[in-house]
Amino acid sequence: MALSIEPYREQHEAAVREFNRRLIAAGADPNLVFYGHATPQWLPRTSDSGLYNEYFVALSDGVVRGGYALKHQNFYFGDGAVRSVAYYHHPLSEGIVDKTHAVVGSLLLRDAMARAPLLYCLGMGGYDRPLPKMLGKLGWSHWAIPFYFRVVNASRFLREMQALRTSRVRRLLMNLGAITGAGWLGLKSHNAWKAVRKPRLASYESHSIESFAEWTAQLWNDARNQSTFTAVRDFRALKLLYPPEDHLIKLQITKNGHTVGWAVAGERRRDPKFGDMRVGSIVDCWASPEGAVPAIQAATQALIDSGCDLIVSNQSHRLWQQALQICGFLRAESNFIFAAGKQLANHLQPFAANQERIHLTRADGDGLPRNF
Amino acid sequence: MNTLFEQVRSIASDVFGLPANQLTADSSPRNVEAWDSTQHLTFILALEEAFQIRLSPEEIEQAQTLGEAARLVENKTLSQPR
Repeated sequence: MALSIEPYREQHEAAVREFNRRLIAAGADPNLVFYGHATPQWLPRTSDSGLYNEYFVALSDGVVRGGYALKHQNFYFGDGAVRSVAYYHHPLSEGIVDKTHAVVGSLLLRDAMARAPLLYCLGMGGYDRPLPKMLGKLGWSHWAIPFYFRVVNASRFLREMQALRTSRVRRLLMNLGAITGAGWLGLKSHNAWKAVRKPRLASYESHSIESFAEWTAQLWNDARNQSTFTAVRDFRALKLLYPPEDHLIKLQITKNGHTVGWAVAGERRRDPKFGDMRVGSIVDCWASPEGAVPAIQAATQALIDSGCDLIVSNQSHRLWQQALQICGFLRAESNFIFAAGKQLANHLQPFAANQERIHLTRADGDGLPRNF
Repeated sequence: MNTLFEQVRSIASDVFGLPANQLTADSSPRNVEAWDSTQHLTFILALEEAFQIRLSPEEIEQAQTLGEAARLVENKTLSQPR
């Protein structure tokens, strides 16, 4: 099979629609199809932007057999350099429904590795999935970015949390906890205990903002040395990532009129594994060391005020993990995997030691904006 | 000292999930059950990553035994500009 992989153009759109139709007809998830438009609706390339998406399609005799996307973004490294790094996302291969095209998935990744020497993957749903398995075999460096959650509505949580209700005994215990209020009491006690331990935050103010402004530049410059690897979060990047018209909550944290942090939060789209719960996510954040706890607290309160039953976040940097714990979040098993290609991993050595100073959040994956 | 063949065999061991001492220069999709077309490409990818080379479609087809794969890698690494 002669397969060519090339940039997705308007002339391919009809073939992509056919590809998507074949996937759905063969039972694939209708939400996991390839982009219908050749020009990205989110983060299209402009002449001067280092932050943009690019799509590619795999063609065999004019028939689309797969596709993938690269999000190009500037990252700040521990050596002080800023380098363009690509995020490999949305790979789709006809091989998932037709084994005669099984090699397409590998060819897509190979093409991406040739186009973008500094390459990472993020998310991927867990180590039992095909892509993380392949990346492991290729010798990529990887680890699961810690996942944190805070229960707001304990009764609802105990009734609805599908992921925990995997056995008859657990379902029985969780229903019992919900009905008797024992579950509510347990979680309320935990939250109360955490509140007593939290540092006093009265001197900090949280401001809900529509869009980010120039004040982000100073904060980016002041705080970037905390990280050995982080997407550049300066004013220019934040303007593109979080335009005023998105549905996300944006918060600026100040102390005595001086900005010490910001956070972005939002309610996730409904997900069967959370049942009927409204789930909020602390999507992204940035702060000086003193601003991390106020930023998490502000984002948490904003999500509580908006009616969320459960709040979640994935954070790789120790500063944010500590802030989440101080604000009453519990840690649980994560399927949000970060995998770095070899050339990228070379810049992150020693990998294990550097992990706690790598700053990656849900915003660095493909969750924006489709998960909100 | 790890010869180039031993390095290639080690990569194959990781990709196909077999102990290295069960793989020989004659190992191929015919006698290694896990070596199907998808794993073949993963093996190629792993070789390219490990040795920083790029194989042409014809070379990918040629690498049908471990011995042939090692020879291809050797030729590629020798012909790379220093």
